[in-house]
Amino acid sequence: MLTEKYSLPLENKKMPKPKLKLGFYGITGCAGCLLSVIFNEDEILDLIQLVDLKAFPFIKEVNPDEQFDYVFMEGLVADKGDLEELEKLRQNTRYIVSLGACACTGCVPAYRQFTLKENYEHLLYRKQKEVEDIQPTPIDAHVKVDYYIPGCPPDKREIVTFIKNIAIGKEPKPYENPVCVECRKNGNQCLLDLGKPCLGPITAGGCNSVCINGNFECWGCRGPTKDMNLPLMIKILKEKGFDDKFIQDRMRTFAGLKLPMLEQFFNVKVNVKC
Amino acid sequence: MRVLKQKKKRLFEFLGKLKQSYELIAPVSKDVVRFEKIDDTGDIYLEKNSYFPLKEYFFRKEEVLFKFNGNKIIVPAPEAPARVFFGIRKCDLNAISHQDMVFMNQVNDPYYSSMRKNSFLLGYHCNTAPSPFCFCGSLELVDYSDLMFYDRGDYLLVEIGSEKGKFLAGKFREFFVETNAAITQKEKIIPRADRLDKKDISHLYDHPDWKKGVDICLSCSACTALCPTCYCFEIHDNVGTKNPKEGERKRSWSSCQVQEFTKVAGEHVFRKEREERFKHRIYHQLDYFKQKNGINLCVGCGRCIEACPTRIDFVEIINEMK
Repeated sequence: MLTEKYSLPLENKKMPKPKLKLGFYGITGCAGCLLSVIFNEDEILDLIQLVDLKAFPFIKEVNPDEQFDYVFMEGLVADKGDLEELEKLRQNTRYIVSLGACACTGCVPAYRQFTLKENYEHLLYRKQKEVEDIQPTPIDAHVKVDYYIPGCPPDKREIVTFIKNIAIGKEPKPYENPVCVECRKNGNQCLLDLGKPCLGPITAGGCNSVCINGNFECWGCRGPTKDMNLPLMIKILKEKGFDDKFIQDRMRTFAGLKLPMLEQFFNVKVNVKC
Repeated sequence: MRVLKQKKKRLFEFLGKLKQSYELIAPVSKDVVRFEKIDDTGDIYLEKNSYFPLKEYFFRKEEVLFKFNGNKIIVPAPEAPARVFFGIRKCDLNAISHQDMVFMNQVNDPYYSSMRKNSFLLGYHCNTAPSPFCFCGSLELVDYSDLMFYDRGDYLLVEIGSEKGKFLAGKFREFFVETNAAITQKEKIIPRADRLDKKDISHLYDHPDWKKGVDICLSCSACTALCPTCYCFEIHDNVGTKNPKEGERKRSWSSCQVQEFTKVAGEHVFRKEREERFKHRIYHQLDYFKQKNGINLCVGCGRCIEACPTRIDFVEIINEMK
């Protein structure tokens, strides 16, 4: 796979390999993740020289049958049009990259799944027949996803590093450590010790603990780590005086769909006093 | 060893004078106690030990190992200014001695030694254990300072521990007076800091009691980040955007508490289970390092327990093991 992707004309003077064809697309979402790409003002012009940028909302568009090497997909599937666009892109693309929390975990829009229908029913589109409601779900609930760049919004540096890595034929590596690893390195005091309901210990980092650096607890926007100790996290928050409803709501705000059967973990017995 | 005497009020005058020639770094009390560069010696806080250790000043959180451009390698030569560290407790002095052993004696790490060589270590003796988590008395700590300050109420005894210390005491001789006093080995023992039972844990690896700690471990890495002796790191490359042929290789702190630490090619993880990772840190501190170097890596500062979100006290766990 690596040699196949090796496309940057490093020493290859005879026959430069064609640049990777990239596309950026957004389905239901706030477009903030796409802005995170653009916010790399100092590097963006050099960055797009490394690849062949084929599509970016409001900048460049291509006909729907264009073939891509990589498509960065922002947003989540919330109506039938989203799904059709996503499936079409999946067919035409070698690697799909989930860009941002909506695409990766479902984020806030997917919270709808944890509330009663009567709470949101009056907000649904009724008059426009073309908007056909689908239960909001991250894109990996519908198509195969090859890479994830999580976060609400994703770290702008991480996007640059990702694109540079694929351009030079290096396998992009996700950051899998919990937020605490970077947070402690940054010299922060633990917000759990200050009584704040910080989800850092169960959340994947890579964000340089940006929220905690600003004294704001982690809400888990980058999704759970593979290695989380969920029953213990719940027990700690209970010990700090937060009730079950609060803990469930907080954990489901950004990554509810990636924490299936959350309730059952409330019953696991953990012996801890803190 | 030669001992000098100093009146208490002369201490801050001495530090103030020192500050004119050197960068002075000492503990200050902010949200927590940290070692920071001192602008006003009145900020120095000596009641408790620092929450964060000193190690970031020598073994930096992130370090550029080299820059590259095509086949050309450029190795940076970082140079730290002459720095005086004041208020270092005995545990942290020993932690520095252990890191010196790893980075300067066993190999010559140019990045560490360039940060370390222009520094003076001014210790401050604990008359009593400064935190309930301390257990330095259970470990065989040695003297490892340039100057060590012993608080004796209204005056201080200052023990000269090295040539560097002798140089400083000579340079600022007006702040010290000669004395016949000596500091006995008994006086160097810190009371109420020996709560870890001296026991060989090498045969206890499969003991069921470790689970008491593992069950309440989040694998958050607070213990390793705040440990003054933990020295593991990871290495990353980053290439330039304008010209991907150039870039830099960096090393940064890593932690044995996360799966990523032992992940190798093919996504294989050597220490996949939390229990293995949990025990690895404790065994490295209290067994493996000793087997290799004849001395425990752990210095008993207790930071890993104090900083742990669930206060996992491995000292208690070990003490209760039969």
